[in-house]
Amino acid sequence: MKLSKIAFVKDLNHSTICGLAIVMMIVFLSIMVPLFSPYNPLVGVSEPLSAPSLSNFFGTDQLGRDVFTRTFASGRLDLMLALIGVAGPLFIGTLLGAILGTTRSSLVVWFWLMLIDAINAFPFIVLVIAIVAIMGPGVSGLLIGLTAVNWARYAKIARARALILRRSDFVEVTRVLGYSRIRVLVRHILPNVFSETIAYGLSDFVIVVLAVSALSFLGAGVRPPTAEWGAMMADGRVYLQTHWWITVFPGLALSLAAIGVALLAHGLVGRYAGEK
Amino acid sequence: MNNVNLPSKQTGFLLLGTYLSFLNSRAFQNLIRALLATMGVLVVTFTLIHLIPGDPVEMLLGEAATEELVLEYRRILGLEGSLFDQFISYLSSVVHGDLGTSLLTRQSVNAVVARTLPLTAWLITVTIAMSLLMAIPLGILAAIYRGTWFDHAFRVFTSISLATPSFYSGLLLILFFAIQLKLAPVAGYNPGFPGNLYYLWLPALTMSGALVPILSRVLQSSIVDTMEQEFVETAIVRGLPKSVLVWRYLLRPSLAPTIGLLGYIIGQLLSATVVVEIVFNLPGMGTALVVEGVLLRDYPLVQGIILVFALIVVIVSFLSDMLCGWIDPRTKIS
Repeated sequence: MKLSKIAFVKDLNHSTICGLAIVMMIVFLSIMVPLFSPYNPLVGVSEPLSAPSLSNFFGTDQLGRDVFTRTFASGRLDLMLALIGVAGPLFIGTLLGAILGTTRSSLVVWFWLMLIDAINAFPFIVLVIAIVAIMGPGVSGLLIGLTAVNWARYAKIARARALILRRSDFVEVTRVLGYSRIRVLVRHILPNVFSETIAYGLSDFVIVVLAVSALSFLGAGVRPPTAEWGAMMADGRVYLQTHWWITVFPGLALSLAAIGVALLAHGLVGRYAGEK
Repeated sequence: MNNVNLPSKQTGFLLLGTYLSFLNSRAFQNLIRALLATMGVLVVTFTLIHLIPGDPVEMLLGEAATEELVLEYRRILGLEGSLFDQFISYLSSVVHGDLGTSLLTRQSVNAVVARTLPLTAWLITVTIAMSLLMAIPLGILAAIYRGTWFDHAFRVFTSISLATPSFYSGLLLILFFAIQLKLAPVAGYNPGFPGNLYYLWLPALTMSGALVPILSRVLQSSIVDTMEQEFVETAIVRGLPKSVLVWRYLLRPSLAPTIGLLGYIIGQLLSATVVVEIVFNLPGMGTALVVEGVLLRDYPLVQGIILVFALIVVIVSFLSDMLCGWIDPRTKIS
């Protein structure tokens, strides 16, 4: 037990440590800043459009709201939305993919595979925008859109993995032992499939967090006045020429968050792949 | 006399043989896959309109609903008859090249696509050209100097570039090149080559920020694979000039994986065009999708435009599969 813990610490590479540090810093600030900031992220009390100063670290926006407070209030919302946007498709897609990989009814498999390939053929953002257009803009439309599009990628990975597992020795053994198909699926196939899709989910988190803010930037996600990185940048765009801080700081926070998670995913998945 | 035009038994077998080998060929299997994907795409675009919670016509018209308007909306949205009838009539209109009618302007969606597609196509072409110009030297250098400081810098740079959202890098590039240096317009477009390049180079550079990392990394790893091949060793022993070695012996065999990725890359680029067109105020397909689709809720337009987007991906994937097999016969269909 003790030895494995030490081995784990020794295994942490630069990429993981850097990523973890960045992610933890952003998560910490996203929790602490909105709690302790003297400013309300939704109500402007300061001089509008004032440059970064000691009282407003990142300046204020056109309504006199503190950009520093808003940036980290966004962090909480964006990371939460991305977490839901990854967890939902991850769960649904893995379950469906594992079932498709083990079922014997070819017509059902054929239909679902066609659907999966069709969804994956669409450019990601384009299909999400279309679903948001149908469902109506807002957080719920955004999450439905992300889930409805993203599950197909997970299902594809899960099915490929389940197909390999189905032919592996330990699954053959369960058949000899006479276990029911549901028991084999739940107890033996799913845990192994999940380890694969969760590894993909980590790198997918970057794509989803960027998609959430891109859609909000386009006006198809989180609506103003809620503080959200993409929506804040869409707001600040008009003032880009004269008041750069409204746009630049939220974008910087978003990029940093994405880089942090990407580094973390790279380090952890690399470690995981190296173990195999 | 009568027998002359009839094929003999032998030619019959020969024809059957060619026919069977065609069924087995890569081209045919790719074609079947592309057709199935198209079918699936049509199912998705058709289903989309039925995902609207409640009655779409009632929701769109609200209080303003008169009997006439309701009937007209039902016709335009393709909501007449049973679900099966609706699907068949949707299929037949798409097969006849009719993408539908816009609810707001009553203009045909074909006209909207014809108006906006050229810009999007130009943007993608300029982006690919620009990205290749940057990615090929970067990939070669990163492969040759693997494990050195250059490789590490390359990794860090590509990671940062990949994680920067295009709407952020686009705004920063506008701030720097358009506002500070005045080397590009802040927004807008003027069709006609080569004048349009003045409007397109900055958006294309923004999109390259996501494409160059992917291209150069794939190129790097496939060049590293190629470098371990024996024919490269032979070429080095033969003392070939470095330029011949790099271009003929390293680059050419390493291009197949990059071309195989083309379908994926086009998908990524089309996603990026939507955002970048909005950032740079370019009137392309992405702008039409966002402005008229999401903000004005023109459902038939959304349906038509995303169909075009998906068909582009399907066609490019098909072509890249074919091209891949032609360049490198060793690659197999997965």
